[in-house]
Amino acid sequence: MKKKSILLTFVLTMSLIFSTAAYAASTTATKDIPIGGSGEMEMVGSIEPTVLSVTMPSVVPFNISNSLTTENKVISPRIKMKNNSSIPVSITVSYTEVDISKLKNTSWCNDANVGPRQIAIGLEKEEVKDEMPTGLSNAKWLWANQWQYMEVLSLAANQEDALYVVGAMGQDVMENTTFTVTPTFIVSRTY
Amino acid sequence: MSGKSKKTAAVVGALLLLLAAVAVYFCVFHKYTKDDLAYDDNAITGILPGIDIDERRKELQKIVDRNMIAFSVNTSPVFLNGTSKGNLLIENPGNNGKLLKASITIDETKEEVYSTKYLKPGTYIESAKLDKVLKEGTYNATVHISAYDEYTAEYIGQTGAQIVITVQN
Repeated sequence: MKKKSILLTFVLTMSLIFSTAAYAASTTATKDIPIGGSGEMEMVGSIEPTVLSVTMPSVVPFNISNSLTTENKVISPRIKMKNNSSIPVSITVSYTEVDISKLKNTSWCNDANVGPRQIAIGLEKEEVKDEMPTGLSNAKWLWANQWQYMEVLSLAANQEDALYVVGAMGQDVMENTTFTVTPTFIVSRTY
Repeated sequence: MSGKSKKTAAVVGALLLLLAAVAVYFCVFHKYTKDDLAYDDNAITGILPGIDIDERRKELQKIVDRNMIAFSVNTSPVFLNGTSKGNLLIENPGNNGKLLKASITIDETKEEVYSTKYLKPGTYIESAKLDKVLKEGTYNATVHISAYDEYTAEYIGQTGAQIVITVQN
């Protein structure tokens, strides 16, 4: 009887110990690997999606006039571009919609070498903060009504930079008329 | 003063009071109607060109600042198959102050495969099914983000982002 009682006590004690150990293992998700032995430990990794986050202009108004004495004939606002994400990005102009129908006898030019009745508009990266470019040497010219995919700016993670509209105009282009140039800015991840 | 003079003075006084009341009404309460003021149709709103470059720049800067678009998007959304949902993660941040619409077109075919309705500031699309079924593969695509006035829904402008869509099966 005494032997039976001792055996029962032993079995109950052991079952209590193992059930506690099993509970602990399931909640902490750890596994003991004996020294000198071998074991398997599952490591679960998940890949976070790369989210691109930016602030860009949707409208870029500007004025152009031959009365400006500089090579650049455009009065442009500061066009801020901000990369709010933790990856570097580049800004390209994919397409530029141009309507110069109100400018009679005037055609578009894809660079600074404008004829007397031609107009050209481009973008230039800011060199000095809050100063419009006076020259056109660093301008990137917009092509009218065609796909272009021209990079105009690259931004490091969490960086802000700016562009200006620049332009050239022939001396015979009619003044005091409005026309529209609508570039579509596309941001993409750089590697 | 005779009774007749008193009567005349009272009448003149009453008339003067009436005139004063009419004058006060016109000065204080009368509002000009459209017909009263003839605005010149030929006048253009703004500063005369060539007058002050700095002033003109400030005016242009206000327009640009008012029309900035902020947005976020997943650069590489994954779809289990052509009809399942994918993690697009398109966000219109709360500080944007504009309504946004997004549309995705495949670069090679220029086919639109997904578009949203208006997204209010402070909302996002976590995952969605594409409107067109794509076969297994990877696709270079462009998300075009169009901005609209938050109150009038008037179109403001457009910008975009390049993404790579993966359809796994």
